[in-house]
Amino acid sequence: MKDKHCRMVPFDPNMKKKKKKKKMPFDPDAGTAVDGEVEAATDGAPSTPVTVTSTPQEEVPDKIEDDMSLEFGGLKKKKKSKKKILDLDDLGESVSNTDNTETPKNDGGDDFSDDFSLDFPARKKKKNRSVVFDQQDDDDEGGSSSKLKEDIVGDKTWSGTDRDYTYDELLLRVFDIMREKNPEMISGEKKKFVMRPPQVLRVGTRKSSFANFTDICRLLHRQPKHVLAFLLAELGTSGSVDGNNQLIIRGKYNQKQIENVLRRYIKEYVTCHTCRSPDTLLQKDTRLYFLQCETCGSRCSVASIKSGFQAVTGKRAAIRAKTT
Amino acid sequence: MTTDSIQNLKGGYDPFADTGEDEVGNNKVQEGLIHIRIQQRNGRKTLTTVQGINPKYDLKRIVKACKREFACNGTVVDHAEYGECIQLQGDQRDQIKKFIADVGLARPELIKVHGF
Repeated sequence: MKDKHCRMVPFDPNMKKKKKKKKMPFDPDAGTAVDGEVEAATDGAPSTPVTVTSTPQEEVPDKIEDDMSLEFGGLKKKKKSKKKILDLDDLGESVSNTDNTETPKNDGGDDFSDDFSLDFPARKKKKNRSVVFDQQDDDDEGGSSSKLKEDIVGDKTWSGTDRDYTYDELLLRVFDIMREKNPEMISGEKKKFVMRPPQVLRVGTRKSSFANFTDICRLLHRQPKHVLAFLLAELGTSGSVDGNNQLIIRGKYNQKQIENVLRRYIKEYVTCHTCRSPDTLLQKDTRLYFLQCETCGSRCSVASIKSGFQAVTGKRAAIRAKTT
Repeated sequence: MTTDSIQNLKGGYDPFADTGEDEVGNNKVQEGLIHIRIQQRNGRKTLTTVQGINPKYDLKRIVKACKREFACNGTVVDHAEYGECIQLQGDQRDQIKKFIADVGLARPELIKVHGF
């Protein structure tokens, strides 16, 4: 969980730079360092189209160039001339390619990314999209001079021409503007919800201590009582918070196991079921708990905590002695 | 530039989709759910309990099949509140989940696995 985050967190600024890059294709620092990282992390998203394409081979390096830094001023010209030849195939191919590359990636994420960082696949989508976008510029500009294209910036391809705008261009434009104006709106770019890992230690032989229990409760903005009830019900044990704010649970548990349970808690009681934002309030209303989202305003009931059937694991004689 | 290039329109997560909970009504959901839990015993031993299997099935026969399949012991325990529950020795959560889904005792989305 931890390293996952470490890998994901530095993503955000990168992507923003990426977006900027789209607008100013010749920005020198948008290139090398950032791109290398993104490329590595996305497992060669641009290389997937390479395997799928059936277009001539010269098309392939072009596509990669689109992704990589565009500082090679000389190459860009060359690319354009090629594009004009291949344009229609290109567009079709690239659209289908984005489809191809998207699908496995959505499945690829593990549980955790499914819960909190759905932006992972979304970002990839965007990246792919930018590739497509660039190509489409080329397609649409096919007739007009390539010199003009050099100095216009990213999304204003039609600024110099007097032709009709295509629907796709306008649609893209409006979405780009929307993204610029409020980056939080899109689920892919919302703020990260970073959890600290629980510190679980063994106390003696048959007890475990959850040291930063209260810290985590504070982080989640939930009452320790509620988290405690959930943890104990899920683990099917007993436990209590001791003097120095650590939770003592009966039974042997390691960090991974507690983490799993916490993750489930967050999924059910912390993140909004509609928009998945962690910015929520848990309210008790007529014996039911309701989750009120501060971001999207949705309000939904959450399952009550029940420990359910508990098998007899202790000494039966002791239980019998207690009841009689 | 099809619709799937615009993230908002592409349904990664559809808030209006059926969750499988609302169809039956809220009370029945709790009954329809099958809870699979794990409890720690002494040492590294564990116990898997299955609660909420539809009483129209013969739990004894299910246990018999499970015992054979998972190579573990097990019993049926009658509980005053939760009805008949299955107990199996060891951590059989994944196996019993797969078993229930495969045999068709319940739809996979109604099976809820608890524990670590």
